Amino acid sequence: MTSTTPHTQDLPPEGGFPSIRYKRNVPKKGPSGLTLVLGITAISAYGFYSELERENMWSRIHLVPLLQAEQDRDTYRREQAAIKREAEIMKDVPGWKPGEKVYHTKRYIPTSIWVIPEKD
Amino acid sequence: MSSPDSIAQTPFIDPTPLPSDIPPVDEVGATSAPLKSAAFFIGAYCKEFNEDFMLCKNENNDPAHCLKEGRKVTRCATDIIRKLREHCEKEFETHWRCLDDRNQEYFRCRPLEREFNTCVWNSLKLEKVIPGTPQGQEPIHLKTKPVFKAS
Repeated sequence: MTSTTPHTQDLPPEGGFPSIRYKRNVPKKGPSGLTLVLGITAISAYGFYSELERENMWSRIHLVPLLQAEQDRDTYRREQAAIKREAEIMKDVPGWKPGEKVYHTKRYIPTSIWVIPEKD
Repeated sequence: MSSPDSIAQTPFIDPTPLPSDIPPVDEVGATSAPLKSAAFFIGAYCKEFNEDFMLCKNENNDPAHCLKEGRKVTRCATDIIRKLREHCEKEFETHWRCLDDRNQEYFRCRPLEREFNTCVWNSLKLEKVIPGTPQGQEPIHLKTKPVFKAS
């Protein structure tokens, strides 16, 4: 079957379609994101800085030796008591050294698990 | 042998006293507010002992290593607290009670602190100095118009 009229194709208008307007048409307003982030950081940093903070830190620094000394005496007392108990418990094991380090170092390793004496 | 779990249930109490070869020393026994009130005077009065102790601790962290230096620190702190109470009992007490009531913030007790500092300076010649205050800037505790003050 043949048609008598020639084909007419749907074609773009002369000179092509106009471009599609897809961009937001809003005027630029306010500072950029980076400026905001940096600005807020600067304001926060200024807020954290205070001579009051320095005063507070130094009041604590002056007390550190005192509190540490007290704590050390207590730790030493507990360590010695634990070693004494260990010696008593292990007295029948030849060659046992009470309070011997389990680590191969001369550095002091704080006791991590304390065994508390049972109440009689 | 008990497991760590059962240890956590037991009070951390060991009544064994210090070995008798360690000279006894009375603990300071003050709570945090009096200590905070007296901190700068402890720092000024016991500077040498404190620094000696910290250098010793830096050398070796073992509690057994610095017991002697630690006793000196504690005796010195007890001494200065006793002196503060001897000379400025009223000022000391009102200041630390103020701190105790106000979250232990110095800036909320400045007028009482000023009285206390004056009293300590007049009787013991000890001054509150905050190390590291920027050159030429008024120390925060001496500011007449502070930004933060007791409300």
